[in-house]
Amino acid sequence: MGQLEELRAAIVDGQNATALAKVNEALASGLPPEQILQEGLIAAMGETGALYQAGDIFVPEMLVAARAMSAALGVLKPHLVAEGIPSRAKVVIGTVQGDLHDIGKNLVAMFLEGNGFEVVDLGVDVSPERFVAEVNNGASAVAISALLTTTMVNMSEVITALTDANLRDQVRVLIGGAPITTEFANEIGADGYARDASSAVDLLCQLLEV
Amino acid sequence: MNSRERVDAALNHREGDRVPLDLGATSCSGIHVSTLAALRQALGLDEPGTPVRVSEPFQMLGEVTPDLLERLGIDAVRVGLPNNIYGFANEDWKPWTTFDGTPVLVPGQFPTEPEPNGDLYMYPKGDRSAPPCARMPASGFYFDSITRQEPLDDDHLDPADNLEEFAAIDDAALEHVRREVERLGATGRALVGEFGGTSFGDAAFVPGPTLAHPRGIRDLEQWYMSLVSRPEYVKEVFEKQCEIGLSNLQKIHGAVGDSLSAVFVTGTDFGSQGGPMIGPKTYRALFQPVHARINDWIHTHTSWKTFIHSCGSIWRLLDDLADAGFDALNPVQTSATDMTPEALKDRYGDRITFWGGGIDTQRVLPFGSPEDVRAMVRERMSIFGAGGGFVFNTIHNVQARVPVANVVALYEAVNEYRSYPQEPLVGRSFDQGRS
Repeated sequence: MGQLEELRAAIVDGQNATALAKVNEALASGLPPEQILQEGLIAAMGETGALYQAGDIFVPEMLVAARAMSAALGVLKPHLVAEGIPSRAKVVIGTVQGDLHDIGKNLVAMFLEGNGFEVVDLGVDVSPERFVAEVNNGASAVAISALLTTTMVNMSEVITALTDANLRDQVRVLIGGAPITTEFANEIGADGYARDASSAVDLLCQLLEV
Repeated sequence: MNSRERVDAALNHREGDRVPLDLGATSCSGIHVSTLAALRQALGLDEPGTPVRVSEPFQMLGEVTPDLLERLGIDAVRVGLPNNIYGFANEDWKPWTTFDGTPVLVPGQFPTEPEPNGDLYMYPKGDRSAPPCARMPASGFYFDSITRQEPLDDDHLDPADNLEEFAAIDDAALEHVRREVERLGATGRALVGEFGGTSFGDAAFVPGPTLAHPRGIRDLEQWYMSLVSRPEYVKEVFEKQCEIGLSNLQKIHGAVGDSLSAVFVTGTDFGSQGGPMIGPKTYRALFQPVHARINDWIHTHTSWKTFIHSCGSIWRLLDDLADAGFDALNPVQTSATDMTPEALKDRYGDRITFWGGGIDTQRVLPFGSPEDVRAMVRERMSIFGAGGGFVFNTIHNVQARVPVANVVALYEAVNEYRSYPQEPLVGRSFDQGRS
C-alpha cells in the first residue's frame, strides 16, 4: 500500500494517530501538499461519504473519519497555504437562528474542509446578519442547517437578508437538516438542499462550478 | 370497555371498541405548552390568557389535565418520578410568559430571568452555583443541553463517571410513584410508567442535565464516536446502568404491582431522517444485550408491556429491536426513509404495537391544511388499527407553531375514525410527508 493509500485508509477507518503519522510521513517524503490533499484527504472523504450513502457505515463511523481527516488537515493546511494552493471556495456555515443543534452541521463543515473548501463555521443560533457579514467578507456560498420545524422557517430570513443587502446574486445558498426537503428549498428561494455531508459537497461543487 | 382495557387490548394485538388515544402519557407523546394553550382555548376549556402548566421543562410540554383527557377521549396517562429531567420537582408554580407570548406556569426552580443576550439558562437541580446545563435561545421554544465536557484522557477514563446520575430509587420517590398509581389508576385510564434510568446512551441524558459538574464522556459527538472507538467503556457503563435500572424496576414493581399497562424502557434515538444512526452490528454488540435483560425481567416478573421510543429511520434495526423484546414502538416516524406505514404493519404488526405514527408532525400537522390532517388520520387508523396493535399518537410531541385549526382537526378526525371495525382504505393512499 502506498503512503497516500495508507493515509486514506486510516482516515476512512477513523484512526486519528495513524492518519497524523501518515500525513507527516507523506510531507517528509516530499510529496506535494496538493497531492496529499487530493489523494489522501479528498479521496478518504469521498469513500466515507459513499459508504454512508450505501448504508454500510453510520453516524459514529462518519464522525470518527471526519475527525481523523480534520486532524490530518490541521497538519497539512500550513503547507497548502505556504505553497499558495487556493481553496476551492469560501463557504460560511451555521445552524439557523433559534436552533442549537450542530452534529449534522459539523459533519458537513468537516466534509467541506476535507474537500478543499475554506469553511467559516459560525456555530449555532446564527442570526441572518452574521451570515450577511461573512458574505461581505468574501464567502461565495452559505450553508444553513435546521433540525426543528419551528426553526426551519427562519432560514428564509437569511435569504431575505442577503437579498436586502444586494448580495443574493453573488452567493449560492444551500440548506439541510432533518425536516428540510428540496421543495422547501425551492419555496424559500435557496439554491439547493443536501441530505447528507457528501451530497452537500457534491452540490456545492456543482453550484459553484469548482 | 374502559381506557385501561382499550389500551391493554391494543397492546395484546386485539381490537377493542375503538383505537386508544394517547396525548401526554410519555415525554415523547405530549404537546408543546403554547400549542396546548391554544388548543384549550379553541375547545372552550380556557378563556384567552389562562396560563397552562409546563409539566416537562426540557421540551416545554404542557400538562394534559383531566378536562382535556375527558374532552378528547384520551386513554393513557403518565406515572413518573417526583423530579423532572433537570432534577427538580414540578412544584411551587409561578407565572412566566414564553418567548411567543403564551402565559404559563412553571416550577419554582425554572429560570425565568433571561441573560443579557436574551437566552434562558437552566441549572441542574436549580443550583445557580453550577454551570448551566441547558439553554433556550431568545425567541426559542425549547431547551437544549449545554455541553459541559472536561478534557478527555483516554488513559484515565472511568465508567463510573458516566454513571453518577444513576442511583437507587429512594423511599420518597417510591412512595410518590405508589400514590400516583393509586390516584391515576382510579380514573380507569391506562398507566404508562416512565422512570428513566434504563435509556442507554440517550442524547437527552448523556450531557448529564441533573449534574453540577458532569464527568466522563458528556459531549454528544464524543459519545457517538465512543460507540465505535471506545466500545468496552460504553459496554461497562451500560452493564452497570442496567443493574441499577433492574433493581429500581424491581422495587417499583414491589410497590405498584401490575397496575401499569406499559413501561417506557428507552428513549434513545437510533434513527436519523435518512437511515439508522448506528448500524445493526453496533446495536447488537452494545445495546441489545442490556435491552434484552430489562425486557426479559419485565416479561418474566410483571404483566407490563415494554415501550421503546426511537425517532427516525429504524427499519433496518426493527428485527433486532423486536428480538430484544420490545412490545410497543414510538413514535413510528413515517416521514423518515423506509418507514412506510403499510410495510411496518405488514412485517411487524403481529409483534409490535405501534404507539405513534398517527400523523406526520414534520410536514402535515404544522404546514398542511385541516383536510390534509383529516386524510392522514383516516389513513393511519385504517392501516395501523387493523387487528389492534395501535395506540394513536402524533409522531413525537405536537410542536410549537402548529396552527390550532390543524390540532382541532386532528382530534376531531381521531374521534370520527377511531371506532372498530376499521374500514379498509379505498383508492389511492395518502402519501404526503413520506420521503
